[in-house]
Amino acid sequence: MSVLNTEGLKAYYIIDVLGEKRYVRAVDDVDLEIRENEIYGIAGESGCGKTTLIKTLFGMVEPPLNVMDGKVKYKMNAEYADIFAMDNKRMREIRWEYISYIPQGSMSVLNPVQKVRYSFEHFIKAHRRIRNKEEEFIKPVERHLQALGLPVQILDSYPHQLSGGMRQRVTVALATVLQPKIIIADEPTTALDVVMQRGVIQLLKDVQSSLKNTIIMVTHDMGIHANIADRIGIMYAGKMIEEASTEEIFGNPLHPYTQYLIGSLPKIGDKSYKTSAPGAPPSLINPPEGCRFYPRCDRATDECKAAIPKLVEIEPGHKAACFLYSGVKEDE
Amino acid sequence: MSSKLIEVNGLTKVFRVGSLFSRVRLTAVDNVSFDIKDADIYTLAGESGSGKTTVSRIILGLLEASEGEILYKGKNIMNIKSEREKKEFRKDVQAIFQNPFETFNPLRTVENYLYETQKNFLGVDASDSIDGIEQALTAVGLTLDDVKEKYPSEFSGGQLQRISIARALITQPSLLIADEPVSMVDASLRMSIVNLFKELKDRYGLSVLYITHDLATAYYVSDKIAIMFRGNIVEKGSVEKVLDSPKHPYTKMLKESIAQPDPRDKWDSRVDLHLTEREEYMLKGCKFAGRCPHVMERCRTEEIPDFDIDGVTVKCLLYQ
Repeated sequence: MSVLNTEGLKAYYIIDVLGEKRYVRAVDDVDLEIRENEIYGIAGESGCGKTTLIKTLFGMVEPPLNVMDGKVKYKMNAEYADIFAMDNKRMREIRWEYISYIPQGSMSVLNPVQKVRYSFEHFIKAHRRIRNKEEEFIKPVERHLQALGLPVQILDSYPHQLSGGMRQRVTVALATVLQPKIIIADEPTTALDVVMQRGVIQLLKDVQSSLKNTIIMVTHDMGIHANIADRIGIMYAGKMIEEASTEEIFGNPLHPYTQYLIGSLPKIGDKSYKTSAPGAPPSLINPPEGCRFYPRCDRATDECKAAIPKLVEIEPGHKAACFLYSGVKEDE
Repeated sequence: MSSKLIEVNGLTKVFRVGSLFSRVRLTAVDNVSFDIKDADIYTLAGESGSGKTTVSRIILGLLEASEGEILYKGKNIMNIKSEREKKEFRKDVQAIFQNPFETFNPLRTVENYLYETQKNFLGVDASDSIDGIEQALTAVGLTLDDVKEKYPSEFSGGQLQRISIARALITQPSLLIADEPVSMVDASLRMSIVNLFKELKDRYGLSVLYITHDLATAYYVSDKIAIMFRGNIVEKGSVEKVLDSPKHPYTKMLKESIAQPDPRDKWDSRVDLHLTEREEYMLKGCKFAGRCPHVMERCRTEEIPDFDIDGVTVKCLLYQ
């Protein structure tokens, strides 16, 4: 059962350059079906549109970002609700309670001039009416922190007194205190040391297995995906080009870009020669006609230049957008 | 045996932090020694706050050491006074930094940097000769046409990093100091930069001091590695010996903490996180004592010497 769907989602940045409108096609026709009780990883390089995609999934769409077409639907009370049809008040209600967001820079979530306790209080008060502070606020929050293995004393610290890793774990605790159905995490480990990365990943896994909810995790670090994701979607230049189980993505990548990506990963204990894909990722203002990857692909044909391959199922549960495997085109 | 290009002996750097009345001495680099031979890629690896960048900044002359000496081609570079000798050293030791978008001024064309380096170090005007620049660009897989009249914003991070390596090569240096050169470069282009270091080493006999937190690329590219922790080198030796079978408990933990890009090789145990950075810097004996599973009472009180075992140097009493 899916818990979040997108259909033909297009989110562009509209930039006005001397009266001429330019479109940055950051998310270009993406169909997603995120299931209940899974960790879905989104991988891709910087500038491929992965952060824009999850912002759109969270409904954080503000100019210059515009949703040009398509829908984002959350499953609520056994029905699918289109979030762009909701008013602001409804959106505010379901944010953090139904879907929450863990951003990359944890400093931007915690108020730097207030103790951590205040951030928790502020969060909970916005969603629940608290009559008995001790019973309805302090005790549940302390229980929540203890369940996540965090010291309760952090509630009386200011954010700057905590280390970067601790701050990120407090952000995870804050984003999960209302027990959301969906958690979106944007590069939650990127600025951290490896030991602390492991701590944060461990925490996210614990949260997921106790709440049985869904985590959508964006990171460029394939090692993190290998360790935590159930399924992975690979993004390239605004499009989802491959989607499969984690074992399939690492063991049997189909799209030539994914093959380059997996094949170039260095590992300890392996000194064999690794190469990168030739060339560089395209600009999202003027992406190549046809398949976005064909200028860098050594197996490109004339067909790849003329039409865009559609993301279709090649093997059970394994989708790819490449004419090597299927002739299905995107209609444009 | 190739000769030692650079030798760092007992390097120490103490920072004073805090306000006027509560000064705290923080030893960022503590008695660090290592040497790099000709045509060697040497990795200085560690987490943030381990002191690896401080070491590179001292070698480059951007920071002054509190104690210790650095011998470059047998000459102590800490007490060079004359401008001519300083310039000679800077010509021979070139640096590449982490963020290529900060290396270049966005309002200047990148080719200007190449011309300027040639003029400053070699005294050759661009109107007289650009052979050296073309050679340097060829070495990184670019041509002058690729960079002509272009601004930094027209390149990807990977291309800009290539250009900054080309710029460093113009002076025909013997040593490149590269501080996290690939951490801002896209995953699909990262290996092309790392491979470049290998090629430069094989073709021109260049040595590289590669400073990184990424042990996987370090394993791939380097000959030797030194693992730093809270200002100390805790283990050093050939990269295969140190990373395939780590000896120091910290190196072991670091290796286990890496998320390997292979779903068949997931973490199977849990980590316990405590003790903040400050407290570890202040520890008297081994800085890792607070987290070490094999800790002994002596570890907290004694100064830990280096022990040589199986060709690897380890700072740990377990190997006494």
